[in-house]
Amino acid sequence: MLEIKPIFHALCRSKVGAILLLIQIAITTAIVSNAAFIIQDRVAFLNQDTGYPEHDIFKFNVMTFGQDVDINQQIELDETMLRSLPEVIDAAMSSSIPLSGGGSASDFSLKPAPQEGLSVRTAYFFIDDHGINTYGVNLVMGRNFSEDEVLVTNNVDKRPSVTIVSQTLLNELFPKGNGLGQTIYFGETPLKVIGVVEKMMSPWLKDSRPDNLAFIPYINAKSLAQFVVRTKPDQRDAVMKEVENLMLKNYSKRVINNIKGLDELKNQYVAADKLMMRMLIVLITILVLVTALGIFGLTLFNISKRTKQIGTRRALGARKSAIIYYFLVENAMICGVGLILGCIAALLLGQLLMQHFSIAALPPSYIAGTAIMVFVMSLLAVFGPAKRAANISPSIATRTI
Amino acid sequence: MLKMNNISKLYQTEMVQTHALRDFNLHVDEGEFIAVTGPSGSGKTTFLNIAGMLEPFSSGEYLLDGIDVGKLNDNQRADCRNQKIGFIFQGFNLIPDLNLYENIEVPLRYRGIKASERKRRIEQCLEQVGLASRAKHLPQQLSGGQQQRVAIARALAGEPRFLLADEPTGNLDSLMARQVMELLEQINRDGATIIMVTHDPELARRAPRNIQVVDGQLADFTLYQGAQNLKNVAGA
Ligand SMILES: Nc1ncnc2c1ncn2[C@@H]1O[C@H](COP(=O)(O)OP(=O)(O)OP(=O)(O)O)[C@@H](O)[C@H]1O
Ligand SMILES: [Mg+2]
Repeated sequence: MLEIKPIFHALCRSKVGAILLLIQIAITTAIVSNAAFIIQDRVAFLNQDTGYPEHDIFKFNVMTFGQDVDINQQIELDETMLRSLPEVIDAAMSSSIPLSGGGSASDFSLKPAPQEGLSVRTAYFFIDDHGINTYGVNLVMGRNFSEDEVLVTNNVDKRPSVTIVSQTLLNELFPKGNGLGQTIYFGETPLKVIGVVEKMMSPWLKDSRPDNLAFIPYINAKSLAQFVVRTKPDQRDAVMKEVENLMLKNYSKRVINNIKGLDELKNQYVAADKLMMRMLIVLITILVLVTALGIFGLTLFNISKRTKQIGTRRALGARKSAIIYYFLVENAMICGVGLILGCIAALLLGQLLMQHFSIAALPPSYIAGTAIMVFVMSLLAVFGPAKRAANISPSIATRTI
Repeated sequence: MLKMNNISKLYQTEMVQTHALRDFNLHVDEGEFIAVTGPSGSGKTTFLNIAGMLEPFSSGEYLLDGIDVGKLNDNQRADCRNQKIGFIFQGFNLIPDLNLYENIEVPLRYRGIKASERKRRIEQCLEQVGLASRAKHLPQQLSGGQQQRVAIARALAGEPRFLLADEPTGNLDSLMARQVMELLEQINRDGATIIMVTHDPELARRAPRNIQVVDGQLADFTLYQGAQNLKNVAGA
């Protein structure tokens, strides 16, 4: 049965179609392996744990236009009202919203500005002692703010003195792990680290430091404020529907809008990534289909070109299985060379992408997986036509000139 | 060696039924050289295809070497063709992408003969047809006569007991045709049974036994030559 040498020689003598197919297989392998890796990377990114129970949290904006009220006081009233709702677990005013793509960030340093010291970029929220509970994050070390550590003021000269930070931020500032209780500097303001949260993502998932975040207990409400509410599971929709009325009932000279779930904010932020991922999936599906069709078509073409030859082979004693085998081996040869070139091209393309975009190095397992997939697909594509070839009658040998 | 009893072959197409063979009876003994003649469309190729197991027949009985061909499955027929029968075609039917050596190797590979033995046989057969120096050439680099000699070498390589040739000289000029005929006669002297379809009366006359197919049957006035063949008539 082993006919590999003559099949190879025959292939070498009529190679145009084979070379075209081989190039197609190489390109498919190179693109599909890289695209599959990027897709996987995006899926991991989209499905990552953010530290928040996203489906139970929502935010809304409050724009106060009434001049007859002290906003700080009004906010306390609002918070009390929200926290008393039976569906609500906790609520707080938050200067920025995680996962939303908008917020504030600064360098937190081991030395007060303008001295030079180790400094790390981090997002920060001004939020009160209900922040931890409202965001549902896990305080793993230290303690929450006490009520009197929360600075509620209209005086910008007053400064808070404590902070709660995410574990990654603390580890970056204190690699030895002795950060709890130490003082870090927000500009020139010293803040003592009193608590550490296991995980809480900043407003920017695509930031180079997406999980550096600090809570600072400072309330200085402006006419535009953002509230965050965490409800009991499955009760968020009801509260979201009611919240505008409830807020306006408390005080009416303001606008409540932008009522959005945390998951919705995240989806908006990652919409482009999702789109890219879908496009890549479509792209590689099309590529694989086109390659499969190419193999299918080339085999059909080869068969019609070689009808007489196949009949002659049958007349000379080839079993049907030998004819099928012939086309499978021929395809495996084309595919094999194509895959070798494809793997090299995949590596080169991966390096190119790594250099020009922020993409990690393509793991060899993706190339191997893609190569195996393309190989199996090519065998499947060739099998149908090969079976047809096997059914060519040996009498063709005497009936065609 | 070959016995056909009441073989019929019916081609069924959408519009017409063609009785390519009707109650065809023929006995062939080991070592015979038979030339088959007859008008175009009379069923000569059909007869040869059935004899070579390239096509099934509609009814009747066909025994080759005592084997009931009608009872063989597809793989068995392929193996039987491979082992017992050598084919020579009007169009030579060499595989264009294989060189001469590889062309002759094709049936030997299907038989699973090992490489050293294949080499021995191929070289011997190429020698026999006078093309030993051209083993690495491709078919298109040869003249028609040379190509047909390669095809004969391919048919011989498997050392078949039975050679079937459908107008082997049909595409050749008379000089080439005579060379091919001489080669076939030599092969016959070496022991192979040959059935050759031809339109050339001169070549047919050189064969010891002539049969004529007319309208799907052996013609009544078929000439039998030699006592051995007379015996066959009695047998039929
Ligand atoms: N595949 C087929 N389908 C239908 N009819 C066929 C088929 N093959 C042959 N025939 C018919 O069977 C009859 C016998 O054909 P065959 O090829 O055996 O003739 P032949 O004697 O070899 O003719 P020629 O001398 O021209 O080669 C013809 O009428 C032909 O048209
Ligand atoms: Mg014919």
